Amino acid sequence: MDVHARDPADRIKQLQHCINDLISVLALPAMWSGGEPSRIVQTLLDALLRMLQLDLVYVRLKETGGQTPIEIVRFAQSQQDIAQPHEIGEILEGWLGANPQEWPLLMRNTLGDRDISIVPLGLGLQGEIGVIVAGSGRSDFPQQTERLILSVAANQASIGLQEARLRSEQKRVASELDQRVAQRTTELAVANEELRKEIANRKHAEDDLRSSEEKHRVIVETANDAVVSMDETGAILIANPATRRIFGYDPIEIIGKPLTMLMPEMMRKLHENGFKRYLATGKRHLNWQGIELTAQRKDGQEFAVEVSFGELTSDGHKLFTGFIRDISERKRAEDQLRASERNLQMTQAELARVSRLTAMGELTASIAHEVNQPLTAVINNGSACLRLLANRNLEPEVLRRALEGIVADGTRASAVLARIRAFIKKEPADKNPLDINEVIQEMLVLAGHELYESQVVVDQQLTTDLPFVLADRVQLQQVLLNLIMNAIEALASVINRPRLLLVQSRINESRDVLVEVSDSGTGFDLEIDRVFNPFFTTKAKGMGMGLSISRSLVESHGGQLWATPNSPHGAVFSFTLPAIEGTAS
Amino acid sequence: MTNAPVVFVVDDDQSVRSSLKFLLSTVGLHVESFDSADAFLRKNLPDSPSCLVLDVRLPGLSGLDFQRELGARKINIPIVFLTGHGDIPMSVRAMKAGAVEFLTKPFRDQDLLDAVRIALERDRTRREHEKEVLILQQRFDSLTSREREVISLVVSGMLNKQIADQLGTAESTVKVQRSRALEKMHAESLVDMVRMIEKLNGPSGRLR
Repeated sequence: MDVHARDPADRIKQLQHCINDLISVLALPAMWSGGEPSRIVQTLLDALLRMLQLDLVYVRLKETGGQTPIEIVRFAQSQQDIAQPHEIGEILEGWLGANPQEWPLLMRNTLGDRDISIVPLGLGLQGEIGVIVAGSGRSDFPQQTERLILSVAANQASIGLQEARLRSEQKRVASELDQRVAQRTTELAVANEELRKEIANRKHAEDDLRSSEEKHRVIVETANDAVVSMDETGAILIANPATRRIFGYDPIEIIGKPLTMLMPEMMRKLHENGFKRYLATGKRHLNWQGIELTAQRKDGQEFAVEVSFGELTSDGHKLFTGFIRDISERKRAEDQLRASERNLQMTQAELARVSRLTAMGELTASIAHEVNQPLTAVINNGSACLRLLANRNLEPEVLRRALEGIVADGTRASAVLARIRAFIKKEPADKNPLDINEVIQEMLVLAGHELYESQVVVDQQLTTDLPFVLADRVQLQQVLLNLIMNAIEALASVINRPRLLLVQSRINESRDVLVEVSDSGTGFDLEIDRVFNPFFTTKAKGMGMGLSISRSLVESHGGQLWATPNSPHGAVFSFTLPAIEGTAS
Repeated sequence: MTNAPVVFVVDDDQSVRSSLKFLLSTVGLHVESFDSADAFLRKNLPDSPSCLVLDVRLPGLSGLDFQRELGARKINIPIVFLTGHGDIPMSVRAMKAGAVEFLTKPFRDQDLLDAVRIALERDRTRREHEKEVLILQQRFDSLTSREREVISLVVSGMLNKQIADQLGTAESTVKVQRSRALEKMHAESLVDMVRMIEKLNGPSGRLR
């Protein structure tokens, strides 16, 4: 279009056309409103190309706010693809300096096979947004109206692009903000979660601590044992309720007082010294785990306790806790147990004695027939002989046969008795090398209760390093216990002099081990060796077998057992056992 | 009764057996000894007063079992028991089962001789009684059935007339049968006849 048209009609038409184009250009922002820069540019380019019948339109947007530069070119249908955007850009580069103010209004260049007039227009006041370039092969390009439309369009585009840029910037900022918010939110959530976990953990730990403290408190409070803590000075800090039951002190009474008040006088110094030494050297003067000690109650009564100690260092201070168990009952029970064990052993020994007697009784019954047969024959023959003699019926041959029968049957009876004796000796004996002193001491312990009850004073004169004897321990115990019990019984009726029991062991002239059990008892009025006869007894309850059996037991060990009167009172029972090689350690 | 008495000794001990034989021989007794119950049982016992001197403790059959065995065999020989040891329950059982004496070895000779004498006397009496019953039985067996009928009614105390009425015969017939039965039984009187019937009804008799 030619602005300089002379024809007014043409001019009016031209102006109307321009007004229409301007209106279209002004309408462009409505089309691209809210759009991306690329869309704005494309819309603009298409509109200009169509409106001004341009051969090419080119736009280059500068890089802004992280957005990549845009370079777009549009050609008229006829000029399709004669050049790439960057080629146009490179051409323009040479013409267009940095300052749009200095740009030429019009440039001419050859593009393809045509000369093209090119109009550059800055986008933005300083061309800071970019550049738009319109090119046409027409010689009259650009007419005034065309230049107006181009500049208005460039302004419109600048505004749109500005807005778009702003929008995109806002969007970017907003999204960045969103992202930051989201990130922060995530971080917060994580932190929150961690915090919650930590809180939970802490709460858990607190609960644990509380329940553990509670548990410990309950344990200490309800413990059967007294739990008493003291500090480094030995002063009592804590005492649990059991302290009252065990020691008789109210816990409040003893807190702050020295621990030694719970000990008998004689132990206090020992404790103090030991404690001082421990603090100084770390050396313990006694076992800390379950030691048996003597404690003292409020009323002064001493009693057995079992104590365990614990040590705790807190804030540089040492705290000592004692767990004190009253074992006086246990001790009593143990004593009783020992006593009943001794009784049991006594009973067993008695049982062994009785069962031996029973066995002998059965033996007696079973051999009665055997012994009675020859005795019967002897008596029958003897009686018959007496009858014949009374009737003066004296046939020597008849009498001789009868007397031979008597001798044979007498011999037979004695053989039966010998068999019984052999049978008794065949009692299974388990002989081992023994230290006789050990057996003596065992039996004195075993009879300890009876000795104590009967107020017998025991004197042991045992020779050390005695040789061993080869003996059945049980049988030897039986012999010794028998002699000791006999002595106790012999001493029972003694009231006007000490009741003495002397047990001696030594080597005699024959190099045998000799044991003597002497008492200051009643002794024997009778022929002293009769005490060894079966069924001889001076006791009301005795069976009279003890010494007899003891003697056969000693003899079955190759020894001898005999009795002698003691001077001035009582009896001495002595027995020997052959010594064997080796010496008791 | 004509035969000499015999003492049987059962003891497993040879010395005891021979000493008993010797002792009993000093009072003139004939002794036969055995070492076991079985050996004694194999012996045919003579028809003469006898007794058994028996050790309670015997190998195999014990003395008390042996006593029971003899009872089962209807051998009514008096027993003098000897035992090695005085077992009271055992002696009570033996005495209840008819033992004459229970002597504990060793015993006084006189005690044994007394016991043996009593045992032999008891056996002699028993034998005489058994013999008498046997003779009466033979006589009783020689009676006719009508005579036995009449005799049993006479013994029960009925008069001749009453018997005749019960049997449906004449009184004179009853009289004849009665006197013939008395004659066959060698009864000297009615009282004698009653005594004989009682013996036959006794433990050794066959009536009833």
